[in-house]
Amino acid sequence: MFLFSASQFSNLFSVLFSHYRRHPLQLLALALMIMLATMLWTGVNHLTTQARASLGQSEQAAAARSQLERVDGQALTVADFVTLRRAGLCVTPWLEVERPGQGGRLVGVDPLAAGCFAQTAPAAGNNSPERIDSPESSKKPEPAWTPVLNGDPFIDISEAAELAQNVAPSNVSLSLLIVPPEPASALPADYRMTGFSLGPDTGELGDSFLLNLDALGFLVLLITALLLRSVYQLGMAQRRDSFALLQRFGVMPSAINRVLLVEILLLALLSVVPGVWLGRLLAGTVSGGFGQALDSLFDTPLYAGQSENWLTSIATMMAIVLVVCLAQNVQALLLRTAAVLSFALPAKLLTGFGVRPWPWLALPLAAIGLAVALLAQSLPLVFFAVALVFAATGIAAPFAIAALSATLARKTREPLACWRHTELGVMARRLALPLVALQFALAMVLAVQALVTVFEVTFDEWLGQRLAADYFIEVPAGASANAAAQWLAAQPELAQSGDWHQVVRGVAQLPAAANDPAMADPKMDNPKMADSKMAGSKTDRKAQSVDLFALGPVSPLLTMWSLQAAGDQPWQGFAAGEGVMVNEQLARRYPLAVGDTLVLTLANTRLERPVLAIYADYGRPAGEVLINLELLPDEFVPVFESFSISPGASDITMITDGLQRLWQVESVRVRDNKRIRELADAVFDQTFLLTRAMTFVTLVLAAVALLIMGWVFFSTRAWYFRLLQVWGLTKRQVLAQLGWLALTLTLSITLLALPLGVWLTWVLVHRINPLAFGWSLPMAIYPGFWLQLGVVSVLIGLSITLLMRSQLGGSSPKPVSAASLRGDER
Amino acid sequence: MGQGTSVTEPLLKVRGLGKHFASAGQTVNVLSGLELTLAPGESLALMGRSGSGKSTLLNILCGLEQPDAGFVSIAGEHFAADSSASGPNQQRWAMLRRQRIGVVFQEANLMPALSLLDNVRLRARLAGQSDQHCGDWLKRLGIGELTQRYPDQVSGGQRQRAALAMVFAMRPSLILADEPTGSLDVRTALEVADELFHQQAASGCALILATHDSALAARCGQRLDLAQMGA
Repeated sequence: MFLFSASQFSNLFSVLFSHYRRHPLQLLALALMIMLATMLWTGVNHLTTQARASLGQSEQAAAARSQLERVDGQALTVADFVTLRRAGLCVTPWLEVERPGQGGRLVGVDPLAAGCFAQTAPAAGNNSPERIDSPESSKKPEPAWTPVLNGDPFIDISEAAELAQNVAPSNVSLSLLIVPPEPASALPADYRMTGFSLGPDTGELGDSFLLNLDALGFLVLLITALLLRSVYQLGMAQRRDSFALLQRFGVMPSAINRVLLVEILLLALLSVVPGVWLGRLLAGTVSGGFGQALDSLFDTPLYAGQSENWLTSIATMMAIVLVVCLAQNVQALLLRTAAVLSFALPAKLLTGFGVRPWPWLALPLAAIGLAVALLAQSLPLVFFAVALVFAATGIAAPFAIAALSATLARKTREPLACWRHTELGVMARRLALPLVALQFALAMVLAVQALVTVFEVTFDEWLGQRLAADYFIEVPAGASANAAAQWLAAQPELAQSGDWHQVVRGVAQLPAAANDPAMADPKMDNPKMADSKMAGSKTDRKAQSVDLFALGPVSPLLTMWSLQAAGDQPWQGFAAGEGVMVNEQLARRYPLAVGDTLVLTLANTRLERPVLAIYADYGRPAGEVLINLELLPDEFVPVFESFSISPGASDITMITDGLQRLWQVESVRVRDNKRIRELADAVFDQTFLLTRAMTFVTLVLAAVALLIMGWVFFSTRAWYFRLLQVWGLTKRQVLAQLGWLALTLTLSITLLALPLGVWLTWVLVHRINPLAFGWSLPMAIYPGFWLQLGVVSVLIGLSITLLMRSQLGGSSPKPVSAASLRGDER
Repeated sequence: MGQGTSVTEPLLKVRGLGKHFASAGQTVNVLSGLELTLAPGESLALMGRSGSGKSTLLNILCGLEQPDAGFVSIAGEHFAADSSASGPNQQRWAMLRRQRIGVVFQEANLMPALSLLDNVRLRARLAGQSDQHCGDWLKRLGIGELTQRYPDQVSGGQRQRAALAMVFAMRPSLILADEPTGSLDVRTALEVADELFHQQAASGCALILATHDSALAARCGQRLDLAQMGA
């Protein structure tokens, strides 16, 4: 350091650091806060980065490639690979294995086979029979595929095969990628080609999911940053007298600032590194559940080795800690720069035009935020609105408590009550940052808790609807579904109960609006691309593909569906073929309402029917039309066919045996819906547990921070509580005053968090979810949660009181600083 | 050892008072066998170097610390060392501090979040007195125009005057003043001391004043030098 020798610097450092020798808990709190903030943010960021990279990986690795399947439906083996290679085809194996212990998938590839694949890859996409690409995309050269076998996520297939022996078979999948042969007839008859995809194109859905995760990470970071700043600021306030003394001894303020910079740098470094390690550990622990959720809800696999490196996380958190803790120094530096450059306006802006801390700003901020949240049609805008409303409430909450306290103090005639109210006002202002952090955390917990509960209840109901039948039986390729339907209808048990129906899935076309020149746009032939363009009004509607879901006959398994909107007797109309039903996603994006006429093209047949009802269809982005099976034209080519059956008293094997005989196949694929339901429940539970755990940790962090801050703050006020004792209050009476203050403060902030939490729930349910995913959830309020949060706030208040009790028992009361001697702590 | 020489019924009687602290593994006797009597209207100066036990004695005399030996009798309430810390005795001490004993420290006698007037009102009401004349007390002590100011908005001398106003507003029987002018400049200290002695004489309460200032101590009727007690 210039102007300072190393020994002088060292002396000054030890003098300044002696503050923490007197207040070791403050140092511990600061270090803990940095570490926990780093851990939470790194954890969320690690998962988000991994998921985002996995999405990219999926798109890159699987782009426009084809895979092989056996025509007989059997699993592929090494023998198939050998057969195909001997036939001179370019085939490469792709063995996915769930990484044991750490989560994330590894992909085993054969470098030799991959080499052949890379040379011929450019032609692959265009020849894929399963993929319809736009002319633009077909012109793009395929990137050469040269996997690096470093576990990110590719490894040699021999290693993957070894790993596969130690994990459950359900966590292993083998695919054979192929460069489509020229001519197509070169493919042996036992095999067929299908498009290779690591999951459906998630498009906006994946992005929205990650955006939500980013938002959660940002909120966590904001809360922890507020807490960090509050703890650091309190320490600085206590050290102000020491700084003044040092300046009187001739130490330059710049030298003190430099030492403080080094001090916080060291502390940050010592805390951030274990924080990043813990964060990655946390992410590793939960990535199993997270990966499963990502895989199940969004069909996106989570691959290993996709996260940011250590240095990026450490550097980011170091920068955040420095900015948060040294905000005033940064502001002063900017002010000096502005002064040097004679920029009057920036300087004014930096100081907020001399007005602090802008309580008046809360109202316009809140008004703008509420209006934008209500009207915005894009996710970033809604997030911006949420940020505005949070900022407004963060500014307003401490002032609201202080103002209310001042009013009560003015109105009361009881001097002790007057003191209590004024003291509460002081606390609200002095503990503003941790209070606001607690308010945000409470609101977040409330909203996430409500959302997760709504999710659970709604998904449970929906799963109940969709998995109402006991079994699904798939129709094998080439088998006649109609003959099976006739056979099932003839079974006495099923005929009596009616608990079965045939399912046909495929694609239908929705025409563009008549005045839309984009109707001829070839991109619109691509269902995935078209779907992402669906937003907008009827006038700018473009031609698009939608999923078709044809059912018949209308069984009791269907009529139990709860519909979001419906006309009179919708199922009777549906059974008679008088109309169709659409899912919420299509209704929102098209947009459509009950009674609107929908024009569909099925194969080459035009179908025009009114919308009878809109049904909920959670967890996927696609629009879907539900029609009566009888409306399907003969030339319609299904993508998938199955039967939903509840055999009642009959044995399912009797039905499957009959169908096997009818279809003349060795086996039929039967899915047990109870098992699917159990699996789905387990996935949801894990997902929700993860979200709850994350928000709960944030709440605990905020609570602990307020506890520490409250304790430290009360320590600075201990003298005044002792004064009350000197003036004749018993220790118990003083403790009661303390308890009243602590409890009123924490309960007040909880009360202020409630409307924010309810509003945030509304935003999540009615704004963010529909914009991100295309479907909405019912809004529900759970006063039970409010009560739980009330109990948490009471516990925090009581903990502060109990901690302070020991301080009140101390021997001779002494003011702790020059400021308190002057009474500057108003 | 100082002895009270009052002809009226003593307000304060201290017999065989002892107090020790443990420091660095050793026992330090701060007070030992202290005898003291003080009648209403009398004043006593406590002298002695820092650490001689002046503040400790004042704390014992208002029940904030417990003695190790002896007993204290104050305004008809008797406290023996062995039972002083008991719950009922703590209640009695609290009542005495609330209604009969006014304490003035060197600094920080006021609640920072309350105005000077509200501070005086709070103290008066706690003592069971009417708060109607609190403003008058501030006037009498020369800070009548500062009633709505907060402690950090007035000077150190004005804060001490407000502290005296608080004490007199509660109409105490005994004032314990721990270096009340110690942090003030000479002139302000003199003015504050004048007010203290004037009001004490006018109200007829007893006063125990801990001070290093010999001139101030000379204005008290009695003097007790704790340094000479061989603590």
